[in-house]
Amino acid sequence: MSTAPRPAGHCRYDVIVVGAGLAGTLVAKELGDEGWRVLVLEAGTDTLSTWPGHLDALDTYYTATAKVPNSPYRPNPDAPSPDLLDLEGLPDGGYRTHGYLLQNGPLPYGTDYLRSNGGTTLHWLGLTPRMLPEDFAVRSTFGYGKDWPISYADLEAHYRAAERELGVAGDTAEQAEALGLPFPAGYVYPMREIPRSHLDHVVAAAVDGVRVKDSAGAPDTTLRVVTTPHARNSTPNPHYDEGRGYRPVGAVGLPDYGERCVGNASCVPICPVQAKYTPLKTQARWDHRVTLVTHAVVSRVLTHDDGRALGVEYLAYDDPAAAAHTVRTAEADIVVLAAHAVENAKLLLLSGLAGRSGQVGRNLMDHPVLLTWGLLPGPTGPFRGPASTSGLEGFRTGPARRNRAPFRVEISNWGWNWPTGAPSSDVARLLGITGDSGQPRGKPLFGRELRTALGDGIGRQFSLQFALEQGAESRNRVTLDPSRRDRLGIPQPLLTYDLSDHVKRGMVAAKAVSDRIFGLLGAEDRTAYGPGPFSPGYFRFEGGDWVFHGAGHGAGTHVMGDSRDTSVVDPWQRCWDHPNLYAVGCGSMPSVGTSNPSLTLAALALRSSEQIHRDLTALHRPVRVRPAHAPVTAVPGPTGPLGSSPPDTSPPTPAGGSGAGAVPSPATPRTS
Amino acid sequence: MATVHPSVAHDGHPDDTDLPEQLALVEEPPFRVPRDRADLHVFLQAALTLEHLTIPPYLTAMYTLRPGTNRPAFYEIRAVVLEEMLHMALVANVLNAVGGSPLVAHSRFVTGYPVRLPYSKERFPVALRHFGEKALETFLRIERPEYVAEPPGHPSVADDEGWTSIGQFYRTIGTGLVRLTEELGEEELFRGDPRRQLGPEHFYNSGGELFPVTGLASALEALRVITEQGEGVDRTVFDSDDRLFGEAREPAHYFRFDELRRERAYGPYDTPASGPTGPAVEVDWEAVDRIDPAAKAAHFPEGSAVRHAADCFNEAYAGLLCLLERAFTGEPERLGQTVPMMAELRRLAEGLYRNPHPDPAKRSRGLHASATYEPLFTRVGP
Repeated sequence: MSTAPRPAGHCRYDVIVVGAGLAGTLVAKELGDEGWRVLVLEAGTDTLSTWPGHLDALDTYYTATAKVPNSPYRPNPDAPSPDLLDLEGLPDGGYRTHGYLLQNGPLPYGTDYLRSNGGTTLHWLGLTPRMLPEDFAVRSTFGYGKDWPISYADLEAHYRAAERELGVAGDTAEQAEALGLPFPAGYVYPMREIPRSHLDHVVAAAVDGVRVKDSAGAPDTTLRVVTTPHARNSTPNPHYDEGRGYRPVGAVGLPDYGERCVGNASCVPICPVQAKYTPLKTQARWDHRVTLVTHAVVSRVLTHDDGRALGVEYLAYDDPAAAAHTVRTAEADIVVLAAHAVENAKLLLLSGLAGRSGQVGRNLMDHPVLLTWGLLPGPTGPFRGPASTSGLEGFRTGPARRNRAPFRVEISNWGWNWPTGAPSSDVARLLGITGDSGQPRGKPLFGRELRTALGDGIGRQFSLQFALEQGAESRNRVTLDPSRRDRLGIPQPLLTYDLSDHVKRGMVAAKAVSDRIFGLLGAEDRTAYGPGPFSPGYFRFEGGDWVFHGAGHGAGTHVMGDSRDTSVVDPWQRCWDHPNLYAVGCGSMPSVGTSNPSLTLAALALRSSEQIHRDLTALHRPVRVRPAHAPVTAVPGPTGPLGSSPPDTSPPTPAGGSGAGAVPSPATPRTS
Repeated sequence: MATVHPSVAHDGHPDDTDLPEQLALVEEPPFRVPRDRADLHVFLQAALTLEHLTIPPYLTAMYTLRPGTNRPAFYEIRAVVLEEMLHMALVANVLNAVGGSPLVAHSRFVTGYPVRLPYSKERFPVALRHFGEKALETFLRIERPEYVAEPPGHPSVADDEGWTSIGQFYRTIGTGLVRLTEELGEEELFRGDPRRQLGPEHFYNSGGELFPVTGLASALEALRVITEQGEGVDRTVFDSDDRLFGEAREPAHYFRFDELRRERAYGPYDTPASGPTGPAVEVDWEAVDRIDPAAKAAHFPEGSAVRHAADCFNEAYAGLLCLLERAFTGEPERLGQTVPMMAELRRLAEGLYRNPHPDPAKRSRGLHASATYEPLFTRVGP
């Protein structure tokens, strides 16, 4: 028996993945399928992967007063998550925050995430547009943000792989025609597009083909309603995969359940029938070599002094209601951080790693969202179907990007749900309940009168969501505040966040577009921006009042680049300073375009998995043995033990090979 | 109120004193193997009627569970009822494949309840009952595996015996399909319009899969899905979803209902003889809205809110049948539209079950109003 001291709970794997969200789940799937032993450490709990857990989350959501994205998922003080309810606007502008994320920036970072098995993708909406080819080069093309070290073409095959894994429903021909997205010939999405809502048809009838200017002197943009790709079960496309078709993936935890979308209209925060993709669906197909350990909060990455990662230290707790925990370690050949943009940055900062470029934690991005809302002349049946089934894509790129941020316009199917908290806020208002419990109640409506008034008002609600691109800026960043610690004693993230004038000019243009669309629809604009408790994102710009919201799309904190001096990770999402430490996820993205980022995150994770597999393969390959007395001149034909070995076509390993000059050229394999 | 426990013995008839003497009757095809194409159409139309017959009783049991309670029962019944819908669509595929035309949107298609269980020697009533002991006894009778009944004409079966089980009826259709394929040739027998076939692009969301029927093999596979999802395969507890569709195998319908009745799940090593030895299944027999199993819309006073709700339900039900017929007769893409219609039916039905019966005597016995599944075609066609 070995007498080497071993820390409690010691274990050794080929790969450790930190975080069981979308990125970590996909990396674990790919590497488990390749035969590697993978340990996945998840800080949160694993309630949702069983059917009773799913039902418990549904019950929690149904009874929640404020139905924010994290409302179905129970708070976990040992692995706290930021919540939208943590932010509060002040009466005269400014904001206050009282949650896990500390903030000291001019404007609030109004974005949450979820630390639980499955991650934030449990409560995503499920929209999966690809980024546009020019989104990968915004600095060189439009003069803002950062360029990617890879292009759309480098990622295209992985976009397709991600669309298979997530089960994307969409219309490839329409995406190609309306957005100019390049797809390989004959490619179709696994499932047909999620059908347009009635509202989409109403908007299309009014705006399609109309040319608008978003500001004086700007070029015309032609309005066109385009259906959005979704990771949501729809009608399988028999032409997918060269006619092999696609089998939609059902619910997790209950066999033979799980449907195509039937319009329950609660995708955010939870789909009752699990028509929407979540990573738990992929986890159900993990190879047995993948081990998931939940209740495991990674506190630092352990490194050797040559920079190589040895493993991680994690705090294992049992009861989320207790601070009690034990410190454990796990070792592996490769460590993959997949814990969310903010959490990955936190871990790198806690571990003092990847610091050479000074970019860890910087370039924090989101898609700042401007909402506009109004009443249509007649009812259009809101609150049926996914939150958005179509959008206007014409403002996502073009020369105007030099001057102002581009934006994607989502047509909201859920009335004033986001701007005002409808429909529950409408019920409260008609019942005479004001926000101030100290005031007497107004005259309430009841029964048929209440139902009629609700039906009339809610049926006409209409809103647009403008998701703007935010360029990478060094000043928007994540740091740690050692004086503020979570219950397990880990310093909490401190965020510094602001919007550039480039983004704010984009909002001005967005509002101008909104005004035109409202005019074309004959809608009565009810948009109002002002300070108040529900408007932490209030600011003034060019003499006007504005309010923005976060989109939940945290990105940029371990930015990818082509130089170790200016970026944290290389084009494979591998830390420049640590050859066996990967940081995957939206944190690697140098720019986010105007696309909801999960699909791009998934494509990047699948691409990195291939490289991790190559790295692991190289680490396990023995050095080639040379004959002791090799002849000085080459001898044709097989000689000795070398003759029967296959030619080595692998790229040089990060650890370096032996005597490169003596290796035969892999370009001339013998085929005899 | 006394706690109701289901009796474990289930050979006897349920106590049906709450039902009228006169039961509706389903028209059964003659007791013989179908002789020609027209005969086959009659048999398959009868099968379509039979598959539909089971759905309203199952839906009634499911929707009378109080919302948020009895979840195991809800999901067990839901899984079964979705598979019955699958069976109905598969029968329509077979009927279309052999050149027939499914009839659904007709008052003759719905016999009315309570109805005598067809293809059975015994007089057994099938009524619209709230979830409980009697409902489960009915369901077990409907899905009971029949290991012995051979088709008519088999040496072991007397000519005048008559139908003894649903399984026997389906085996007879299978025999007829094989014989007619031999007589007419496969291409000639299966000459129906392939554009009428429903496939995976039109429906899926539970055990099994909807697939087009294009010849003898797929027709026999459709019949196999129907019998094995109901009764189990090879005298085991389980269905054949794993073999046919690469899905998780599940207890067949009979055994799923048996799990609820015995409040215990079947484990992986259990057999029909062993009974369930798996984990306990939680059933709250009290968390149910009790209804009158003989209720008709006409029992609810004209002009009352309950009557209006019952009529609305019956109109929506007729609308659903019309839509199904269109989906089965040349417009398969309409099948998806039945999903929101089912959501509307559920809303209307639950509205009835959540309200007391308008009759004071019945109300005093704790009975609630109910959906009566009497399609009102007057306002919606056909």
